Amino acid sequence: MTTTAPSVRRGLIARVIIGRTFLWAWLIVGLVPLLFMLVTSIKPAGLANQIPPAWLFTPTLENYASVLSAGGGKSESFGQLLLNSAIVSLGATLLAIAVGVPAAYALTMREFRARKGLSSWILSTYMFPPIVAVIPIFVFAGRLGLIDTYPVLIVPYAAFNLPIVVWILRSSILQLPYEIQEAAMVDGASSWNILRRIIWPLLVPSVATAAVLTIVLSWNEFLFALSLTRSGAKTAPVGLQQFTGMYGTDWGNITSAATLIVAPILVLMIILRRQMVAGLSFGAVK
Amino acid sequence: MKSTAVVSDAGLQARPSRREHGHNPTVPRGGKRPSWKKRSAPWAYMAPSMIVLLLMTVAPAIFIFYSAFRNDKILGGAGRFVGLNNFIEAVTNASVRHAFLITFAFVAVAVILEMLLGFALALPLAAQTTANKVGAALMLLPFAVTPAVAAMIFKQLLNPNYGWVGYYLGYLGFPRGIDLLGDPTSAWIVLIILDMWQWTPFIALILMAGLQSLPGEPREAALVDGATPWQMFRHITLPAMVPFIAIAAVLRTIQAFKTFDAFKILTGGGPGESTEIINLGIFRVGLQSFNVGLACALGVIFLIILSLLIPIMLRVIGRQSDPEEM
Repeated sequence: MTTTAPSVRRGLIARVIIGRTFLWAWLIVGLVPLLFMLVTSIKPAGLANQIPPAWLFTPTLENYASVLSAGGGKSESFGQLLLNSAIVSLGATLLAIAVGVPAAYALTMREFRARKGLSSWILSTYMFPPIVAVIPIFVFAGRLGLIDTYPVLIVPYAAFNLPIVVWILRSSILQLPYEIQEAAMVDGASSWNILRRIIWPLLVPSVATAAVLTIVLSWNEFLFALSLTRSGAKTAPVGLQQFTGMYGTDWGNITSAATLIVAPILVLMIILRRQMVAGLSFGAVK
Repeated sequence: MKSTAVVSDAGLQARPSRREHGHNPTVPRGGKRPSWKKRSAPWAYMAPSMIVLLLMTVAPAIFIFYSAFRNDKILGGAGRFVGLNNFIEAVTNASVRHAFLITFAFVAVAVILEMLLGFALALPLAAQTTANKVGAALMLLPFAVTPAVAAMIFKQLLNPNYGWVGYYLGYLGFPRGIDLLGDPTSAWIVLIILDMWQWTPFIALILMAGLQSLPGEPREAALVDGATPWQMFRHITLPAMVPFIAIAAVLRTIQAFKTFDAFKILTGGGPGESTEIINLGIFRVGLQSFNVGLACALGVIFLIILSLLIPIMLRVIGRQSDPEEM
């Protein structure tokens, strides 16, 4: 061992240096697009798409003000679009949690024979490609007169996040000691009371994770929002595209709008980093 | 036998749950068989989720299987049954074949590159130091960016007249004002880079969590036995990481098949139809040309292809999340 140790050590050190250099290079290069977005959003008018790029300037918030206030000839301001995004995301989250918690509980009930099959079915709906669902939903919603309303986004977003929500919650319930439930059953508690008084309080952290994940994924969604809304329920990511035509190439406005879309999500993700990764892997990675 | 069942049933009846209230429990047929009420409770809890999922996945699936055999248009005009015509068109159309092929190529290239890079990033990131905690937080940033916004930002960075990329590439000897999205090859490179920028962190963070959960003893033992770093990686780390690699690969593959925003915004399928993956193709045929029949036929084919991944997903994710249940 003593003879091989120095060479092993050298190999390890070399590998560590290469690995760390690569890691930090990736992180720095990866931040360039975000830096561009942030820097351009606070550039004064006229400097935003100047070449060579201006690096010295007095920062201004005028882009944010103009994006949030003016309708710019459109019926809806960007503030309204952000509000639409928030309503749709929160609505989808409430719906997903409201139907997901009881489902997750049912899928852990020992006397429930269908639980394995149904668990697998719910997990497998994650495979369902949104592009395949969007045309039928467009047709159904059109017949029901629901195009461009909040529910036409809320229900699909809740449905497409349900596999993640149900699986996170189901794994969390399975991790609770079953003896607690058994003790309550012996005392004659109904399944509803077990869920409400025993499981729910212990489940709150997992519910929070699932909720934040659903908010983020709904907030970021583009295909359904693009296809199923016109103006009344249009969300911010879709509205961002309109800025190109609306203001020509006013990069100041586009980048400040982009920053407004991304900022709340970035904050949530950084706070809940570990939980996000665990959640997106259906609780398979802790 | 019957009396004991009635007694246990009475115990439940004394505290009717809100959901079950008003139902008349049938008399259980056997003493050991749970009451109807007890057996139906899980179904009551499941029902809301099942309704939402049936509405949003099963009903659309039935609709596309039905419409794929018809020539309906979204905007008026009664369609009729056309048999396999849509499928024949889907299979014989060269641009449809191209769309499917480039979708597979994109998924394969993106997932493989992201897995390799993700692993390379996860290894130095796994040591639990303060710097790495900052690194992991920074790593998450691109992943957190709304995909539509990311594509928009990339598009501006690549703008041939004013973009940073074209300008600074000029210093490296490239022609000034290069239009990377105007040429199929470079457009593909840009799309892959955008996908890698956005999704490699996801894989790196899953693999990082995996590496951090590995026990240290086997590595220490190997070090004592004089194993080289490569031997240690090859024979100890890599085998132990297989479940995590499988999870990351499966999840990323599924997500890659759903990619839409980046292509729609960055290239719109162009130049020409060179980057029109199947998601864009279905969107264009169905929601822009309003040829619902053909779009549904494409959807059916896509759905069948993707459903082949379900058993793999159930195995990898299901088994890992709770080994006892699956």
